[in-house]
Amino acid sequence: MDKFKNKFREEAADHINDLEDALLLIEKDKGNKELVERIFRSMHSLKGGGAMFGFTMLSEFTHNLENLYDRVRSGKMKVTRDLLDMTLASVDHMKLLLADEGLDEPDFKSRHLNLSLQIKKYVENDGEDTELREKNDDADLAKDNSKTFYIYFEPNQDIFNDGTNPLFLVDELHSLGECKVFAHFNKVPELKNIDVTKCYTYWEMLVVTQENVNAISDVFIFVEDQCELEIMEVSDKNILTNEQIVSEIEKLAEERKDVGINEIQQIIKKYSIKEKKEEKLEHIISKKEKLPSVKENVISSIRVSSNKLDQLMNLVSELVTTQARLSLYAEESGQPELVTIAENVQKLSRQLRDNAFDIVLVPIETMLTRFQRLVRDLSKELNKVVVFTAEGADTELDKTIIETLTDPLLHILRNCIDHGIENPETRKKLNKPEEGKILLKAFYSGANVHIQIHDDGAGMDVEKIKAKAIEKELISPDANLTKKEILDLVFLPGFSTATNVTDVSGRGVGMDVVKRKLTEIRGEVELDSELNVGTTLTIKLPLTLSIIDGLLVKIAHNHYILPLSSVNKIYATEHEKVVNTYNNLIVLDGDQIPFYYLREEFGLPEGEQDIEQVIIVSYEDRSIGLVVDEVIGEYQAVLKSLGKMYKKQEIISGATILGDGTVALVVDTNKIISQFSEVKIKKEN
Amino acid sequence: MSKNILIVDDSESIREVVSFTLKNEGYEVKVGVDGKDALKFLDGSAIDLIITDLHMPVMDGIEFIKEVRKTDQYKRVPILFLTTESQAAKKMEAKEAGATGWIIKPFVPAKLIGALKKVLR
Repeated sequence: MDKFKNKFREEAADHINDLEDALLLIEKDKGNKELVERIFRSMHSLKGGGAMFGFTMLSEFTHNLENLYDRVRSGKMKVTRDLLDMTLASVDHMKLLLADEGLDEPDFKSRHLNLSLQIKKYVENDGEDTELREKNDDADLAKDNSKTFYIYFEPNQDIFNDGTNPLFLVDELHSLGECKVFAHFNKVPELKNIDVTKCYTYWEMLVVTQENVNAISDVFIFVEDQCELEIMEVSDKNILTNEQIVSEIEKLAEERKDVGINEIQQIIKKYSIKEKKEEKLEHIISKKEKLPSVKENVISSIRVSSNKLDQLMNLVSELVTTQARLSLYAEESGQPELVTIAENVQKLSRQLRDNAFDIVLVPIETMLTRFQRLVRDLSKELNKVVVFTAEGADTELDKTIIETLTDPLLHILRNCIDHGIENPETRKKLNKPEEGKILLKAFYSGANVHIQIHDDGAGMDVEKIKAKAIEKELISPDANLTKKEILDLVFLPGFSTATNVTDVSGRGVGMDVVKRKLTEIRGEVELDSELNVGTTLTIKLPLTLSIIDGLLVKIAHNHYILPLSSVNKIYATEHEKVVNTYNNLIVLDGDQIPFYYLREEFGLPEGEQDIEQVIIVSYEDRSIGLVVDEVIGEYQAVLKSLGKMYKKQEIISGATILGDGTVALVVDTNKIISQFSEVKIKKEN
Repeated sequence: MSKNILIVDDSESIREVVSFTLKNEGYEVKVGVDGKDALKFLDGSAIDLIITDLHMPVMDGIEFIKEVRKTDQYKRVPILFLTTESQAAKKMEAKEAGATGWIIKPFVPAKLIGALKKVLR
């Protein structure tokens, strides 16, 4: 049972998310019936499942909400901001109910009671807007939400004995909606054997109705234990309008004794697929008018546990490592056939790797609901008007990155609303539109994904930050810093610019934690701000964490890997040019380029070869050269962590195992350059 | 020709509500105050439906239904009985005695007619 329970929990969490999503959407489009339907469906599933798997409180709670939205659905009630506030609070509450922990705490109980009462109030405030109801009733007539049910009804032979006439029940079904009835007489015996007091007939029926399954089983309530009865929804449309389906079923009914649910379902399936295709065409045409997040009902994805995905990624990593060994061995053996095979394996494993990556990529869209919710709730709490928009929501990132990313982003958004966006009065004075804007933009840039969060709020006061940093003794008073360097100070531990700390951003989590978290996933943060104009925060993230395309190089006897994404060009140059220099500059293609002779930086003796390799990497907006002994070639490196011992250093981000079993260190070029520069500056001072 | 319905109930108010509703719908109504009293209507006259309470003095509803089912003329007349939601066991008992269906008390006229439509045209 626990297994089912957990499964339900997962499912329910999805439903709750979907619910939240739909609620946020409907706030902007209050008349959208599809969204109401979606909300209702989610609630309905939660209620049903909750009751089955022992989440009684959740089920009851949702049941009341469902009733409420049933009324919205039937046009008896309007979607108001108030209603949405209450529903969203309820959604939060449902999450707790689903967690099924601490339900006995008094705080929780009073919340539960309070919300339940609020919901009840809504249900009771019924008769107020009859006018609206009438108006909407008309609209309802025009809208067709009929479903088709299949009913198999075979009464016991002695059903007549207690005064029941089965025909009346069949008749009553007609009152629910359009019916197609197939009466079957094949069980009627030969004339001489007929007992007139017995019922030999049975029926199959298709009923098109807006009612639910309960209304249909109600018809049979008096006889339910005196008959064989099967009621099933076969389509969410009126299939009787489809002549092909009807004639095909009719044909079957004539040929055979009874048609059976399976056959009918198949027939419907057959034709509805055709219909769907036609619909799809229409859909494309009308796509622009529709909301982006209302998805089609086609199964386009399956659910896989993330453990399995992790396993897949591990296997792929191992495969890539093994493949490297094979390639090496093939090359050494000099057998042309083996080399061909090794090359094929390499190609395949590369494709497999890319494909496996793709699977664990999740669009950042999945985080957006939480952000939207935060913006909505927080701006309301702080009496600010904030519009949150997202661009590039379909940009994909490794799921582990997404998981780690959510909290830092929430914190950043909190800061935007709390410290960034001014209140409407202030904005008016500054000649800004009253509503503040926050834009979240995600886009690909090489092997990275950039996420930008831009607000058009107050911006950051460079002087203020500097003063504060001096006060907190983070920098010395005479330090000469660029604007960028000053802005970066906010990422230092123990820095907060807010003059009055609200309970929103003053949670003890500062920007330093944001930065640390992002660094954990190899992300980088950049801050740009203009006083009274706004702030832009850019986060650069790697697409994935486990495998990188790298450039394999050799320094002395050791192998190193540089991320290919940061490599621009490789030059060969004479040994003298890199050794006999006093300003570490080299002229390549007419440009003066600063460089680091890695042997020197790593504390190794000077090399003996005549030709050195200069690898040009991009660092911030500049090109910097890194000098190595030898460039071996492209290499896909499976990243392994170095373990706790080496956590303190930053320049090596991991290690990988080469085909021959030796270890190559993966160099973080950005870190290595910034670290060497710092050392240089210190030395010069 | 309008249908004849026999109502059997010891409570005067119920009898009145039911017969008022039925007469409104155009049915002919006969009334008995308990099972025994109602047996007098099984005299060969036309009865198309019987609605009976279960708890009655002298002869209760179950007994009455059994009596009706014993007759030749009325053994297939639909019988609805009045019951409350909580009496599930009673429901089974009445069903077994030969009742056709039930009406749950308290009821609104629409419900009564709804149940009636299931067994009578």
